[in-house]
Amino acid sequence: MSMRLPKQAGEWISRDKTVRFTFEGQEYSGYEGDTITSALWAAGVKVLGRSFKYHRARGVLSFANHDVNVMVTDGNDTNIRGDVVALGNGMQLDAVNTDGGVLKDKNKYIDSLSPLLPVGFYYKAFHKPASLFPFWEKIIRKAAGLGVVNFNYPRITKRKLNQHCDLLVIGAGPSGLSAALAAASEGLEVVLVDENQSLGGSLTYDYAGSESARKILEALQAKVAETANIHVYTGAYAAGYYADDMVPVVTAKGITRVRAKAVIVATGVFEQPPVFHNNDLPGVMLGSAAQRLINRYAVKPFNKGVVVTANAHGYRVALDLLNAGAKVAALVDMRAEGQRDDLVGELVRKGVKIYPASCVYEAVPTRDKLGVQGVVICPFDEATGQANPGKSVNIDCDGIAMSAGWAPAAALLYQAGTGMAYSNDIQQFVPNRLPAGVFAAGRVNGVYCLQQRANDGMRAAAEVLRYLGKRAPEVMVEKQQGPSPSHPYPFVEHPKGKNFVDFDEDIQIKDFINAAKEGFDNIELMKRFTTVGMGPSQGKHSNMNAIRILAKIRNLPVDKIGTTTARPFFHPTPFGHLGGRSFHSHRLTSIHAWHESAGAFFVDVGAWSRPAYYHQAGKSKQQLVQEEAQAVRQSAGIIDGGTLGKIEVCGPDAALFLERFYTGKFADQKVGTTRYALLLDESGVIVDDGIASRLADELFYLNISTSNAAAVYREMQRWLQIWQLNVGLVNVTGAYGLINVAGPAARDIVGKLVSVDLSDAAFPMGAACETEVLGMPVRLVRVGFVAHLAYEIHMPSAHGLNFWQALMEAGAGHGIRPFGTDTQRLLRLELGHHMPGYDTDGLTNPYEVGAESALAMDKPFFIGQRSLKIIGKKKVAKLLVPFVLPQEYSGEMPQDCNLVIDGAAIKGRVTSIAYSPAAKRIIGFAYVDPAKDKPGSVFDIRTDNGSIVKATVVETPFFNAA
Amino acid sequence: MTTAQTAMIRKTPVAYAQQALKPKMGELNGMEVALEFEGASVENARKQLLGVTDVSCFQRFSVKGPQAAAWLAARGMNTPAAINSWDEAAPGTMILRLGGSEFLLEDQYSGDTCATLGKGFKQSEVAGVYKVQRADAAFILSGSEALDLLSELCMLDLRDSALGTNAVVMTQVAGISATLLRQTLNGQQVYRIWCDGTYGPYLWDMLTEIAQELGGGAVGLSCHLKT
Repeated sequence: MSMRLPKQAGEWISRDKTVRFTFEGQEYSGYEGDTITSALWAAGVKVLGRSFKYHRARGVLSFANHDVNVMVTDGNDTNIRGDVVALGNGMQLDAVNTDGGVLKDKNKYIDSLSPLLPVGFYYKAFHKPASLFPFWEKIIRKAAGLGVVNFNYPRITKRKLNQHCDLLVIGAGPSGLSAALAAASEGLEVVLVDENQSLGGSLTYDYAGSESARKILEALQAKVAETANIHVYTGAYAAGYYADDMVPVVTAKGITRVRAKAVIVATGVFEQPPVFHNNDLPGVMLGSAAQRLINRYAVKPFNKGVVVTANAHGYRVALDLLNAGAKVAALVDMRAEGQRDDLVGELVRKGVKIYPASCVYEAVPTRDKLGVQGVVICPFDEATGQANPGKSVNIDCDGIAMSAGWAPAAALLYQAGTGMAYSNDIQQFVPNRLPAGVFAAGRVNGVYCLQQRANDGMRAAAEVLRYLGKRAPEVMVEKQQGPSPSHPYPFVEHPKGKNFVDFDEDIQIKDFINAAKEGFDNIELMKRFTTVGMGPSQGKHSNMNAIRILAKIRNLPVDKIGTTTARPFFHPTPFGHLGGRSFHSHRLTSIHAWHESAGAFFVDVGAWSRPAYYHQAGKSKQQLVQEEAQAVRQSAGIIDGGTLGKIEVCGPDAALFLERFYTGKFADQKVGTTRYALLLDESGVIVDDGIASRLADELFYLNISTSNAAAVYREMQRWLQIWQLNVGLVNVTGAYGLINVAGPAARDIVGKLVSVDLSDAAFPMGAACETEVLGMPVRLVRVGFVAHLAYEIHMPSAHGLNFWQALMEAGAGHGIRPFGTDTQRLLRLELGHHMPGYDTDGLTNPYEVGAESALAMDKPFFIGQRSLKIIGKKKVAKLLVPFVLPQEYSGEMPQDCNLVIDGAAIKGRVTSIAYSPAAKRIIGFAYVDPAKDKPGSVFDIRTDNGSIVKATVVETPFFNAA
Repeated sequence: MTTAQTAMIRKTPVAYAQQALKPKMGELNGMEVALEFEGASVENARKQLLGVTDVSCFQRFSVKGPQAAAWLAARGMNTPAAINSWDEAAPGTMILRLGGSEFLLEDQYSGDTCATLGKGFKQSEVAGVYKVQRADAAFILSGSEALDLLSELCMLDLRDSALGTNAVVMTQVAGISATLLRQTLNGQQVYRIWCDGTYGPYLWDMLTEIAQELGGGAVGLSCHLKT
């Protein structure tokens, strides 16, 4: 039976555009502009989902994304919010959380087991006997969660943008619209955000059968449309309030991070359901949901309904229902005094019977429990919260509209740091201490009268103008007149329970009572024990009611109970939105393309992409690394070291700066030489090491490790600020390329390009100079990290490829071979050089790696020196030693991080290990008991498969270079 | 004499990212640079809508240190008084003041002010002035949708009302450190971006990827030279 109404003024659907779709295999049609829910309800489909826990039939509740009764999948995406997601042509929809469909869900039997499944039952069950837990875990995991993750979900880039404005207005109801217009009229750049598809908030549905509100809306919409300095986002929600007043606005296309000079929160309120037996049946809905169905989508909520209310809004709902052609069989007012204004007379004139001081004791389900067939009404003592079922009245109906009160949509205000206080006048938390630049307006601010809501928006705008240094008049807002818009306790207890507070998690009144009995009588504890507000709608329809119940249980005022923490995001937001474009910044040297064409296998080192080794068909990685290493040992290898950190330390105090920054001495370092530079932190832990080349009296050139370069430079800058020395720091990491030619033939190869005398006498180990190569100014350094004979050429990075090709050409006759970082690690290991980060960790001090020779403890100061003086007085707990395995060893290969053990005791770990073709055996570094640091000592390594390998401490280098 | 010695043309730091586009390359200031990608008509349209041009080949010279401003002034360079601002140092040469005591000069297209300053700089003879070796990737971002693109890459407010005509911002663009300003080139307002050259291929990829989504794309240097 179609529930579609004749055309309604201001409806959001386009009747000339039919949209066809299926739901649970049945074909339906709706109109463009429909949501999934409105189209289904219009088609007479009332069972739209099954509840999470008890698999009870569910229909419309809030019709505003404040509940998750209607969550569907289209086979690709899951957990689509049917209430607010636009209907699409060709959609093939199924409800989530059913086994066999919403009508024949095989899990509906769980509802009959509900007495056995109170909240928290899973905390106490299933863990004994432990052997059965895997069985239960499987079942629980299957039952938990909603929807099925589609691991083949396509990657669709959602942009994450940034936007700036003078004023962000969140919520485009009467207050937000008025605020935006008032601010814009004074020249402010305004961003206006609303989660609905059209501006207006309650002006788009709360009509009480009258035209007046819609005319106000049309006027406001027209003004906004003609105001150029209001940027409107509809179908968008402000998802959170972050530091620096950043508010992410989420739309279907992505996220815009809005930063405004001021923010007005006019987010309105969530309607809260009164609680009675079977208040979750399909056909029982919030009054505002019924109004939205009628006035936005031209859908009749039900044919003959009952309105249960505890405020004036229920009367307005009844009038809208009547205006839509629905019969209102009764209006049940839970308040002792009922309503006393024109609305009452209007309803009476239209034949609606009003039951004051009464409640809906229960909704009577249809035989199949898929809908409502009537209500039981009985007297209600507002003071005690007790119903009197002895005087009940039964009324037939097919739907119930509920209006008992509101909860402020104050999540953003809380996140911004707003202090909220409970107002007994309106039974609502309202802001009483707002952070600078944050303003609240409208119903979230406790203002309910339509005219006053508009005034409150203008008042907030005036305050914003003054906050921004402009002049603005005072705008007066009248306080709430008459009865409270929210009822303090709209709950009706029932011996059979099923009076739901949280529809996401199937939580009933008795669950709160039981939680309190268990001792969870603090709102945060109760939340976690009952899981109230922890479902997908995050308490929008349930948190306030939970607070009221707890206040009653503890016999405390509501404001003594407090509220739970409102965390971002306001609605669940897809990971694709959060990921955005997924920026993964990376650095490439100017030789990268050459490496790629030569078959390099790249690894990430810090921000850089570096060749680990060069692939050749039919050869394993290990084989290739060994071959590359042998090339270096036998003739020459070449590696792109452009990624190394390169920092110039210039100025009169350059040497003094390095003396303080590093552990060694630099003041007496001769120009044209290099020195080892070891960096500690203030606790004496090794941070980094490198080489300092003194190129002039006032110019040191530091080469530091690739992955630490940025951090070390930042530290240099920080210490320079502290020490205030006459030094200039220049980070030239990216500006200089670096190529290292290593091996016995290195001198011959490099010598073809440079005019410098490279003989040992003229250019010994540790020599450095500035010269010209290929007509370019370069820096030449004799190094010994990977081979006893090696030269680094540092050139302007844009020339890196030219130099690389020239060196490859010069070394062709020597069989020069490129090598990568994996080979580099083996080569330095063979020479006995440890590497910070590989052979040290975040706690290693220099004494533990035998680096005493790098410590100039007689200097007045260096970073970490004071700590070392303390550490040096203590016995070291472990020492890094070089070791070998027996030459004939062929068992399980130990790996980095395998433990060094002594019986059952852990004594250390392997930090580096590899087969060395030069040493013709397995070599490595490991931390061992200090008692076993002497050459010849034997210690045990436990491998991945548990076998024990005996390793012997040796001296380095591991092979005879001669 | 090796092959390289006979052909010491530098490659733009963005070359790796551009190679798949197979641009028509040419040399400017000793650097091989993309002159054209898809023809003048396409690229002129992109330039108006959203174009990304690699201008890493522009000559640059940079110094820092307490005497840097005085040293530049002594050589006739007009230096901006305000920190984080830019100006014209000499005809055809812009100068960016990057903080209190660091300056970056850039010859627009093919001037030689930077080369002259570089040749005249002897570190050992100048106290309080330190040469900063540069290897920037540099871009021109042109067209009506440039701000839309930048709004995805940069958190700062870059609208005309917020970004002063001569303001220089050192910020994060696509997650990396970059320098950005607004400039009028050949009568068109454009944005200029500099980053470390080793990040150049990454930033080029990001700029052109978004530009393409917004209807624009890569624009060769010829498009700007001919205007």
